Amino acid sequence: MIQPQTYLNVADNSGARELMCIRIIGASNRRYAHIGDVIVSVIKEAIPNTPLERSEVIRAVIVRTCKELKRNNGTIIRYDDNAAVVIDQEGNPKGTRVFGAIPRELRQLNFTKIASLAPEVL
Amino acid sequence: MQSIRGSTRLLQRHRFSISNTLRFTSSSTSCGSWSENESRRLGFDSFPCTRAATYLISSLKNVGFSSSAIPKQNFTYSSRCFSTTGDSVQGSPESDCVVPQRIKFKRLDKTAKHIMQIVDKEAVEEVRTLREIPEIKPGYIVQLKVEVPENKRRVSIVKGVVIARRNAGLNSTFRIRRLVAGVGVESMFPLYSPNLREIKVVDKKKVRRAKLYYLRDKVNALKKH
Repeated sequence: MIQPQTYLNVADNSGARELMCIRIIGASNRRYAHIGDVIVSVIKEAIPNTPLERSEVIRAVIVRTCKELKRNNGTIIRYDDNAAVVIDQEGNPKGTRVFGAIPRELRQLNFTKIASLAPEVL
Repeated sequence: MQSIRGSTRLLQRHRFSISNTLRFTSSSTSCGSWSENESRRLGFDSFPCTRAATYLISSLKNVGFSSSAIPKQNFTYSSRCFSTTGDSVQGSPESDCVVPQRIKFKRLDKTAKHIMQIVDKEAVEEVRTLREIPEIKPGYIVQLKVEVPENKRRVSIVKGVVIARRNAGLNSTFRIRRLVAGVGVESMFPLYSPNLREIKVVDKKKVRRAKLYYLRDKVNALKKH
């Protein structure tokens, strides 16, 4: 349940380290974003000497949330942090590596590149 | 149901008047006509002659008969009028209508709950005979083989600490906490899910809680507990 003003970790090596959500892409006045939703965010902290800089507005897709993700077979997955992967307008990740575990739902939502880069798909 | 409740309330209200009126009438009237007189006096005419109501009337009469002999035990007898144990009142019912053996039956919503319990137990028994499901308590370190239907492979050996267990019949679930690629992940599985191919208890840790949610704040390696 990510909403504007939420800080998210960055789960790739694009250069940003922390993002703050500004807006959720989808319907207007959409309140919360879950795993697999695209958000507009601003970079609050960045690694120096990378193409991305602080206070830059970019898009990202949420890959981990502290709020549970429910599956159809009755299982529930809950991560320990909120994390996102920086993407461009088409949906391709800007970085070349992805860190941490990624849920399987991203593959069905056409983020196959992110799912294939992940070290562990849950 | 309402008539029973109403009649018992009437009985309680007329408890005192019973002792007074019956002393006068018991000597003069016989068995059959007494019941009609008394029923009319107490207004039992309005109630339908249900099985329970006739039982109450007969026990009420027994109150009347015994009250003349032992006036002090009036109140205990009348308070036993609406007990559910059959034939707790002394004396055979010498009533006009035949009183069959009182059958206990639950309210409909209680019966429905009971049926659901039975159905649930049967379903659990069925699953238990199919697969061997060991006992899982919080604090155990458990290794699962979870089948993922979309991949069609026997993926994911899941190994972690059981931090919670919820008992709800067939819907019993348990939560496992583990470290995956540097990120803590909690998964909840239904205990009787057909996707859980195998559950193996690897280790048991001593814990003093049923739910180990405090582990979320502890940063050290989760499996070490």
